[in-house]
Amino acid sequence: MSDEHTVSGEKTYKVDLLTRVEGEGRFHLKVKDNQVIESKLNIFEAPRYFEAFLRDRAIEEVPDIVARICGICPVAYQMSAVRALENGLGVTPSSAIRALRRLLYCGEWIESHALHVFLLHAPDFLGYDSAMAMAVDHKDLVERGLKMKKAGNALIECLGGRAIHPISIRVGGFTTTPRASALNALRDDLANALQDAIDTVTWTAALTFPDFNQAYTFVCLDHDQYPLEWGDAIHVSGSGRFPVEEFFDHSQETHVAHSTALQSHLRDGQTYLCGPMARLNRHHERLHPTARTALAKSGLSLPVHNPYQSIVVRAVELVHALAEALDLIDAYTQPEAAFSDYSPRAATACGATEAPRGLLVHRYQMGEDGLIKHADIVPPTSQNQAQIEADLVSIAPQLMALAHNDATHLCEQLIRAYDPCISCATHFLKLNIENVNAPS
Amino acid sequence: MPDTPTHSPRPRLGVFKLASCDGCQLTLLDCEDELLLLGEQIDIVHFPEATSPGQPSGPFDVAIIEGSVSTPEQQDEVQAIRRNSTVLLTIGACATSGGIQALRNFGDHDDYRRIVYAQPEYISSLATSTPVANHVPVDFELRGCPINKQQLLELITACLRGRTPAIKNESVCFECKRNDIVCVAVTQQMPCLGPVTHAGCGAICPAFNRGCFGCYGPKESAATAPLAAQMLTNGQSDEAIKRAFRLFTAESEAFREESQRHE
Amino acid sequence: MVSLPPDGLSDLFAVLVQQGWRLVGPTVSNGAIIYDEIQSPDDLPTGWTDHQAPGQYTLEKRDDKRSFGYVVGPQSWKKELFLPHEVVQTSSLNNGTFHWHGANPKPAPTAFIGVRACDLSAIGIQDRVFLEDTYVDPHYQARRNATLIIAVNCTEAGALCFCDSMGTGPQAGPGYDLCLTEFDDCFLVESGSDRGEAIAAQLPATSAKPAQQAALTTAIDDCRQQMGRTLNTDGLPELLFGNLEHPQWDAVGDACLACGNCTLVCPTCFCHAIDETPDLASGPAVRERSWDSCFSEEHSHIHGWSFQPSIKDRYRQWATHKLSSWHSQFGTSGCVGCGRCIAWCPVGIDITEQVAAIQNSPAEPAPLPGFKPITWHERKDPLQAASARIQHIQQETHDVATLKLHMPDDYCDQPGQFNMLALPGIGEVPISVSGNDGKTTEHTVRNVGNVTAAITSLSVGDALGVRGPYGSAWPLDKMPGRPVTLIAGGIGLAPLRGVIRHLVSQTRDPATEWVSVIYGARDQSALLFSNELKQWSTNPAVKVAVTLDRASANWRGNVGTVTTLLQRKHQPDHGIYLMCGPEVMMAAVTRQLSTDGVPPENIYLSMERNMKCATGHCGRCQYGPHFICKDGPVFSYAQIRPLFGKPGF
Repeated sequence: MSDEHTVSGEKTYKVDLLTRVEGEGRFHLKVKDNQVIESKLNIFEAPRYFEAFLRDRAIEEVPDIVARICGICPVAYQMSAVRALENGLGVTPSSAIRALRRLLYCGEWIESHALHVFLLHAPDFLGYDSAMAMAVDHKDLVERGLKMKKAGNALIECLGGRAIHPISIRVGGFTTTPRASALNALRDDLANALQDAIDTVTWTAALTFPDFNQAYTFVCLDHDQYPLEWGDAIHVSGSGRFPVEEFFDHSQETHVAHSTALQSHLRDGQTYLCGPMARLNRHHERLHPTARTALAKSGLSLPVHNPYQSIVVRAVELVHALAEALDLIDAYTQPEAAFSDYSPRAATACGATEAPRGLLVHRYQMGEDGLIKHADIVPPTSQNQAQIEADLVSIAPQLMALAHNDATHLCEQLIRAYDPCISCATHFLKLNIENVNAPS
Repeated sequence: MPDTPTHSPRPRLGVFKLASCDGCQLTLLDCEDELLLLGEQIDIVHFPEATSPGQPSGPFDVAIIEGSVSTPEQQDEVQAIRRNSTVLLTIGACATSGGIQALRNFGDHDDYRRIVYAQPEYISSLATSTPVANHVPVDFELRGCPINKQQLLELITACLRGRTPAIKNESVCFECKRNDIVCVAVTQQMPCLGPVTHAGCGAICPAFNRGCFGCYGPKESAATAPLAAQMLTNGQSDEAIKRAFRLFTAESEAFREESQRHE
Repeated sequence: MVSLPPDGLSDLFAVLVQQGWRLVGPTVSNGAIIYDEIQSPDDLPTGWTDHQAPGQYTLEKRDDKRSFGYVVGPQSWKKELFLPHEVVQTSSLNNGTFHWHGANPKPAPTAFIGVRACDLSAIGIQDRVFLEDTYVDPHYQARRNATLIIAVNCTEAGALCFCDSMGTGPQAGPGYDLCLTEFDDCFLVESGSDRGEAIAAQLPATSAKPAQQAALTTAIDDCRQQMGRTLNTDGLPELLFGNLEHPQWDAVGDACLACGNCTLVCPTCFCHAIDETPDLASGPAVRERSWDSCFSEEHSHIHGWSFQPSIKDRYRQWATHKLSSWHSQFGTSGCVGCGRCIAWCPVGIDITEQVAAIQNSPAEPAPLPGFKPITWHERKDPLQAASARIQHIQQETHDVATLKLHMPDDYCDQPGQFNMLALPGIGEVPISVSGNDGKTTEHTVRNVGNVTAAITSLSVGDALGVRGPYGSAWPLDKMPGRPVTLIAGGIGLAPLRGVIRHLVSQTRDPATEWVSVIYGARDQSALLFSNELKQWSTNPAVKVAVTLDRASANWRGNVGTVTTLLQRKHQPDHGIYLMCGPEVMMAAVTRQLSTDGVPPENIYLSMERNMKCATGHCGRCQYGPHFICKDGPVFSYAQIRPLFGKPGF
């Protein structure tokens, strides 16, 4: 539903209900005499107040509660939460448990990336309104995506009981661990999905992308593996790394009138980008060899600076997650203990993991009584929101030459390239009380 | 845009979202084996998460709502959806009981706004989060946080075929026993809401060595009082019992009243 | 009897494996001893015992190496014979014909290892339900026929055991192929069948010595002394039947969660649900049955409400069925004293305590109907449905239609019986026969739910599935030589139409054999068979009186209830009275007739409950000691008087 009206040289591009994104938002770009007057990613998703009702809940309830922030990436919320809580409680999960968590997280990456690449993003490139419409002409393609997504969901179901809001993650480990035979039963489907993912890299790399290279500041977790479930430092391209615990010293969240989601910037007011592009640019050498090979064959040149190309990056990460999942299954033996025990204590601690959409940071203040006193959650879409608005400003000159509908679609496709999860982005806490205008 | 409704013999489906996490409508996309078949049998005319552009105005043969009513706009929206729909289905704990965001109903909404938002005056939201059925008549409420994929398929299929959905209002214990799971309440004295919780999840929590925490809300005739008494006997505090009943379906009558008895 | 050394179990397993049996036996899993597929004696719970209390079950280490040193776990063998979920049939409508396909179970031959005396009795009780009643369940039968039973005698009783009270243990039998008794130094082995004998012959066993035989007797006797619970069964069925309003039911109703665990762990409970499952593709509709329980609301649910709405109703239904009405239905108790319902109740409700509380302050016992020998139906599958084509449809009112069906050739029925009508993918409903001219059979259907909505919207020439007839008929043999009064309310006229037509076709003496039809309807627009009502009164012996709840302007007939009409004259006590309608109406009519001195055996009622299988297997239409589907729907008032009109049944 695009709309056009021209008043004295003023042009407005807007979409009142962004589709093929998770959650509800709209955008609004106002251009006058080739100058952008206003760029707004308006998030009207209803607020749900998670940080408020996490107060006075028991530590063991946190993974169940934060999962409900997002139905697309509940594992990410659970993972960041248990990392933060474990940091505060002084619990270190065994390496076997860490491997199992990484495997579970691979499942979510597979499911989420397959959903985005095939069902949400691909229709933009092939000119369809939806995957269902696309399936009429490209049934194989949609079925390939669904198969891959199913393999990811099956992994989450095996480890977590169900694909959405899994139930087995707890502080210190899992409530129970699977038999090796249960994981091995998933192997064939994952191996088939891996082959499909490798083909997907080739297919996405051959798509035509709008010319839109931007000089981004990339932010992602640092780790000696490709970052997923673990990492103690955060890397900012061009300025180095800092410990996860210091995240809130380096970033600020602001609340703007047009959004129920809070926006993040770095302390100097700089917008930044987190997510697959940030991860790949920083960590491509840590990709699984199979993914490295697929990346090399794709011809994608690094670093990636064009958000429209993020579909290729997600395909590479799909290969990585599937290849690594297979390795983890092959190396798995059922651990003796499903979890390490803990005693409550007063502490404040951070934890960060890489959600499919990017960096996800949690911070909790806990009391000796085992209850949460304060919670801060910064999801990737909040962090990307200011960057998306900045991108809309940057793309404005390209829009002038296009028909209005094409221009609007180009904007929408740009927003979709971030795989924004609006449900997540809503309801997060501002740290530094100030009202900052949209960056220009 | 031009308003040319396509005349299709297939029933027209609209999927709507209110305050929620998106998980229940994602369940539709999680029907990997059935999604394309479903697309052949129904015309999905509005489903912003998956298709663009949406046609939010209807009419719809079937409308599915995810999420609770928590803003003034949503109050109007559910009226409009009801007016434009023949069959209205609500899916998930948010739409059927107010969801986890209904925890605000037990606290001070202004405090909540201040805790989360720096500029609370920017936020337009109601003091309560409520189920859709509090606002308009609903033809079927599918329970769960999240809903179960098989039950969603059953509900849609039953709607298409005109039969009563085979969705039971029994306790989680039924599924637990049918699935050969050993009871964690009896063997480990774990707190478990299974005996008073609506079935549908497949009793996954006991299967994963933990007690049920009530994602599907109260079953019919939920005898929460004797269960809470047993939890007290087993050493749970009133505070813990209050929290147990006050989670994803806190606003449902049986769980709300039980949680209030332990305040 | 032979004696086997302790390691002889390996030989037994080897023989069984060599004979091709799949082995299912006890093993430790998730903190309990469950029955699962096992391969060797190593899988047995050797050195473990179970500690049980109300609402509690824990495993503990034993001091010895016994393999069967526990009593019973959460599961019983019913999970192997009467599966928790099972596809029972598929059906489809193709080319205007209804096609039915029964499932064809081909179970793997399975040896049950470690069947306790109580559980062996329970298998016998389920055999009685599924194999030895009017209809045989082919699914249960196929698995039961493929079963070998290796029983184990109990020499130690658990804290919740009361098999001794129920007369089912601790010594196993009959019904086993082999029975083991475990001692520290040997297993004593008894054979109970030729198959068992043949297996025993292959074991490295020696004849049991007299001292060993004596030790067995002592061990069993000691076990009897250790029973953790007792239940006084003396006169219990009648006592409970006379105490349906005992205050203890209220007390237990307040404590019970209605979670269903007691029935699901019970080795004899057989109630099940039957559901159509998703059929998104155009393939045949699948019908699945799954364990249900009288603690579910759906169990007694019909037309939007439940006959057992309160938890008290459901507990009372369960306990009185187990211990009381089971005797009428199947000739035994439904309880074997295994104690599972006590251990696995999350709040520890103890059925022996409930019974004792009633026994402490009882009202008078009441007689129960005696157990009736069965009539055997030779049928392949009791759920098998045939195709019937609609020959004519008469729209009776805005929501009632009469469908004239061309039935299968071998079909015949008697007035009062019913058929199950089915549409694939939508469901199946019981509909009474409203007429039969020898060629076609009529069903008068009111649109009250999805299935009846679909059936009433069919057209002439359409096909549907039909199975039946089921149930009891109106007592035509009692009607010659006496006045007959038929009282109908609403749709209740339909099941009576066949018998009215029968009487109208006769030449009856108007002085002594008069026929009176009293029919009440909501209003004029709800009147069924209007033309026929007039025709009937052309027989000089037949009088038809119609009364309406609400009269319209042009109505010149009666207004008020059927009882008002009935009260206008004294009803002769030798007359026969048939009635069908809402239960409140039937209750008022029976009260009036009783006031006039009509004996209960001259009054007949057609009852309605949640009939799902119609063959007495699913348990949903239980009405005290009766199944409506096979003992009813037509009952004499004498049969059901103790329950009739009581809420909660």
